[in-house]
Amino acid sequence: MNLSTLGRQLSAAMVLLFPGLGFAAGALDDVGGEQALNPTAIGMFLLFVAFTLYVTWWASKATTSSSTFYNAGGQISGAQNGMAIAGDFMSAASFLGITGLMYAGGFDGLILSLGAFGAWPVLMFLFARRVRNLGSFTFIDVISRRLDREPIRLVTAFSTIVIVIMYLIAQMVGAGKLIQLLFGLPYVVALLLVSGLVLAYVAFGGMLATTWVQIIKAGLLLFGVTLIAILLLADSGFSFSSLLGKAVDAHPKGEAILGAGVIFDDPVQILTIQVSMLFGTVGLPHILMRLFTVPDMRQAKLSAYYASLFIGYFYIALLVLGFGSIAYVAGAPEFFDAGGRLIGGSNMAAIHVATAVGGDILTGFMSAVCFATILAVVAGLTLSGAAAISHDVYAEVLKKGKPEPKTELRLTRASVLLIGLTAVLLGIAFEEENIAFIATIPMVVSASVTFPILFLSLFWSGFTTRGAIAGAVVGLVSSVVLIVLGPQVWVSVLGHAEALFPYDYPALFTMPASVLVMIWMSKADRSARGVTDRNNYAELLVESEFGEAGPEVARA
Amino acid sequence: MTDSSVAAVHKKTRLRLLFTAVHLVLYFSFTLNWTGWGSGLSSRLGSSEITGSLLMFVLLVLIFISLETLFMVLSRWGRS
Repeated sequence: MNLSTLGRQLSAAMVLLFPGLGFAAGALDDVGGEQALNPTAIGMFLLFVAFTLYVTWWASKATTSSSTFYNAGGQISGAQNGMAIAGDFMSAASFLGITGLMYAGGFDGLILSLGAFGAWPVLMFLFARRVRNLGSFTFIDVISRRLDREPIRLVTAFSTIVIVIMYLIAQMVGAGKLIQLLFGLPYVVALLLVSGLVLAYVAFGGMLATTWVQIIKAGLLLFGVTLIAILLLADSGFSFSSLLGKAVDAHPKGEAILGAGVIFDDPVQILTIQVSMLFGTVGLPHILMRLFTVPDMRQAKLSAYYASLFIGYFYIALLVLGFGSIAYVAGAPEFFDAGGRLIGGSNMAAIHVATAVGGDILTGFMSAVCFATILAVVAGLTLSGAAAISHDVYAEVLKKGKPEPKTELRLTRASVLLIGLTAVLLGIAFEEENIAFIATIPMVVSASVTFPILFLSLFWSGFTTRGAIAGAVVGLVSSVVLIVLGPQVWVSVLGHAEALFPYDYPALFTMPASVLVMIWMSKADRSARGVTDRNNYAELLVESEFGEAGPEVARA
Repeated sequence: MTDSSVAAVHKKTRLRLLFTAVHLVLYFSFTLNWTGWGSGLSSRLGSSEITGSLLMFVLLVLIFISLETLFMVLSRWGRS
């Protein structure tokens, strides 16, 4: 297995990993054919669709205002919300991408698992309680409590829309390719199917239906990976060590797959991945939005805690699946085409291992779960994008926080429709493009713009609007420039021999740059608005910890 | 704002930042696997196929969850 092949697999796995990211088109160029039409998978998927449409119909009766539309009326429990967050995050990307990378390089694939999991404790320690106490529908509500609301809402709503659109492009192209592989359906049909179902979930059922779709999907995915892991371990006498032994025997790199170094050899590259994944995940707008669906700050903290439990369990199960895929797929000729290539590429290793231990029924079930996963993730993204347009821009900026409720709800539904149509059109436009770099942008922008603004708003008294905007611009521009100069665009898309910037994920450099500019510009800010921003901090701080009673506590 | 409310908020803030700092140190320690300092991690544990690197991954996941549990307990204890 040569380095360029491993590089492609890494790229595929990275874009697969995050919620909202499916297969990158480029990642699937070098695959060994596609699956035949799979009636078991289609039957199971239709069952899922029928049930979730019923849930949507039920939710639509309760979705009569902007509040219920954006945050399900704040009535989701911490455990339910934790499961929904896990459903939003444990994507087909994680299941297929990480297993595929482990199939290729063993232990090195786990950097993606730890990177993805590491964000949740930070979300709980720093943000869950404070964000829930200060916001209503989106994280932008939180930062506009102390900063100049109009400019800061416009800047952060713009970054939210950039993140959502980039995710959606990657997701829609990935969905089309993935469904083509798993179900044998044409690309455009797959896009229309995903978009149509997501529009039904979100436009009619809002956050309530989206939450339950994510809960159901998370339950199915956890059940599926648990079953595969148990079957793999059972076949090895319930000895993980024995399973590892089989993997070592089957992999061309032998024992090397049990330690680091098969795919990565540069610790700085590891750090770039870790920084992008941790801080990028914590700043994702559709994840932060989920904190407002619970009734109080305690439930918000419980949400993050339960999400960690489910996601931590999922990644430990993937440890078994990853090495199991080497042990049971690598040496099995039925999973390879005539040219010796793994059918569907390494990202299908997870599906193949399901076939190896569970036959056609488990294959069909896991394929249906992957499809369901895409629907759940796209629904969350669509809702987040619609909230940025109708709540953050229309209601809070154009209508100065006093919109006509029915008009706002109509605009929200229209925004959902607009985002859905845009997603389909962009999905078709980017079908043949290498979109790996588009999938990189959301995480890096989130780490370099959203996270620093939110963190400094909540934890630094000297933060001002001027500093926030200057840092956000630096974070956004430097992220895009370094991604363009990096291997994914400079080499893979533009065809140059060597990248001008050596790393795919520049957040290790762009996030500190953004934070430094925010601090420097805030310290240098002598404007009247700067004084107001600093003075707003004390009251905001108390309210962030004590909730609505905060100002009274402060005045007492 | 009263001194007691400010003190309470500052105490909570210190707790948040302390837990985050501990978490980040542990999280980034995983990079040791790709450096010379962590070369011992690739050794097998006894006669099993499990290496120190694999054990570190599982332990980090469990430690992160334990840290969250401790944070929840301390937060509740602080309230009462």
